[in-house]
Amino acid sequence: MNRTGTGFSLYRMVTKQKAFIFIVVMLVGMLFAGTEFYTAYNLLDMLNSTSILLILSFGVTMTIISGGCDLSIGGILVVSGILAIKLQAVMPMGLAILFAIAFGVAVGFVNGFLVVHQRTEPFIITLGMGLLLTGVAQQLTNAHPVPATNPEFMMIGNGSVLGVPNLVIIMALCFAASFWLMRYTQFGRNLYAIGGDYDVARYSGINVVRTKWLAFVISGGAAGLAGVLLSSKLNTGSAIYGELTALVVNCGVVVGGTSFAGGIGGIPQSALGLLVFGMLDNVMNMLRITSYYQILLKGAVIVAIIWLDCFAQKRRREFV
Amino acid sequence: MSSYGSRSALAVVGAVLRDYLVLAMIAALAAITAMVEPKFMSAANMVNIMRQFGPLIMVSLGMTFVIIGGFIDLSVAGTINLVAVVTISLIQPMGQVPALVTGLAIGAACGALNSAVILSSGALTQAEALFLTFGMSTVYSAFALLYSHGSTMHFWDIKTSKSIFESIGGGTVGPLSVSFAIFLVVLALLWVFQSKTKEGREICLTGGNKTAAALAGVRIKRAIVVIYTIGGFMAAVGAIVLFSRITTAAPVIGAGYETNAILAVVVGGTTLKGGKGSVLRTVMGVLLVILMSNCLNLLGVSTYLQVAVKGAILVFAIWLDNRKQA
Repeated sequence: MNRTGTGFSLYRMVTKQKAFIFIVVMLVGMLFAGTEFYTAYNLLDMLNSTSILLILSFGVTMTIISGGCDLSIGGILVVSGILAIKLQAVMPMGLAILFAIAFGVAVGFVNGFLVVHQRTEPFIITLGMGLLLTGVAQQLTNAHPVPATNPEFMMIGNGSVLGVPNLVIIMALCFAASFWLMRYTQFGRNLYAIGGDYDVARYSGINVVRTKWLAFVISGGAAGLAGVLLSSKLNTGSAIYGELTALVVNCGVVVGGTSFAGGIGGIPQSALGLLVFGMLDNVMNMLRITSYYQILLKGAVIVAIIWLDCFAQKRRREFV
Repeated sequence: MSSYGSRSALAVVGAVLRDYLVLAMIAALAAITAMVEPKFMSAANMVNIMRQFGPLIMVSLGMTFVIIGGFIDLSVAGTINLVAVVTISLIQPMGQVPALVTGLAIGAACGALNSAVILSSGALTQAEALFLTFGMSTVYSAFALLYSHGSTMHFWDIKTSKSIFESIGGGTVGPLSVSFAIFLVVLALLWVFQSKTKEGREICLTGGNKTAAALAGVRIKRAIVVIYTIGGFMAAVGAIVLFSRITTAAPVIGAGYETNAILAVVVGGTTLKGGKGSVLRTVMGVLLVILMSNCLNLLGVSTYLQVAVKGAILVFAIWLDNRKQA
């Protein structure tokens, strides 16, 4: 193949920016659909409902860039959400929220210990951790939703400032913080180096264990925060919300272009990847597609984009 | 395992214990529960345990091959959903034998489709396979929902004969339940396939090191097709055993089977890195999981906490597995 021709650069753009192209296709398509998609209300609502997944994805991105992944976020999400509500009975709201986030950090710490220090396979060990936490969540709530009684707590996830929902503001802050961390700090650069080649990074004098460990701690903390926000938004804590969240978020990150190979990707890419799912939901609702077909389409999109991701990598290496 | 050779007696005991940790845990668990709760050793409880061998063991046996081959299969949940609703709905219009065959064929086809997706994309790592099969699982589940319109189908709505499924669900052959007898037959077949055939060995080699296997002339693409087809087929067997026992089929009954199957396989001692393991080890893993929930039930621990205990055991088993490698 001519590596400088337009065809090749187009091919590279398609394989590298699948999520972006998918979003453009949806945006253009909706121009002709004649729905109320292009209203400020709808677009803001879409962003609002994707915010929690986006916050989760920023932490997960760091673990994937460092060559791992985090499937325990679904478990952390539900347990910290339940904790935030339950602890309010015995302590002030602020402290309860802090405890809930600290719980996420603690789980992230344990994940980091098992994955980085003990060198276990990240996806299966975090999957097990997620299962463990789902059980804990069910036990805490007796598998019934727990309602929140504090109206102030509810306002965190449902209020807005100057017309912009709180969730979107918090998400934007998290985005800025994690973007800065990954782009402009030593920690971020080291994380890319570790994902690129673990041993080379180690021999270059990077404290690989501590850096990668920190990525898992951040991911856990982000999941804890997301859990608090979810509980506040829905005004309930329940063990069922987290069931597929972990897989969807990890998928979204990969869809955005952060590769499981490690060392490639970034926070903005993940935001795009998750927006694909958020926008797909919104578009399908706008077009009044029934829920079963929505599930089918979502599954097909996951397979198609991950397939493309693998296929692009196959082109780059020699297939045995 | 046969290389304990010239080491001191104590070292040999240690090595055997490490290799057969699950067996030791099963024995310990059974002994403790029998002491605390005499009901454990009763004949009724033994029959109960035998019954529980049903669906999970079938799915786990299939998953064993996928994991030995160095891959993973999350699509079994979707496959179970699809096979269960399609099979139960076909019993009346087609008769039971064609329905049974169609169900098994759909399972195998789902598995073959997974392998086609994986091969065509060139996915070689477990993580890539994880997400691809997760997507496929969503697709299969969606088909199950579309096919059944989201409704639950019951045995008592079927007017024609359904004797095969009824006997799978609750019949007995001599002292054994029918599902347990099926399990024994399937286990024997799979064990022979794994350890006595060329294909079985090729799966092992593929899981051990794909590059080396390919260079040595192992047909790794074929091995990948075989492991996923077995995985899908066994998920279908599991689906049929499952709905026969509970006499209903909903398009969501497969949920959770993927994690439980992986749990059973890994706890049994088949390593996730691929290349090592056996269907017999998986049987021990399933036995441990079943015994554990049986014990926890007898001891009055809530089902919710049992999920947490399962997760903890999974984490612990993987951690231990990893230490053995190091």
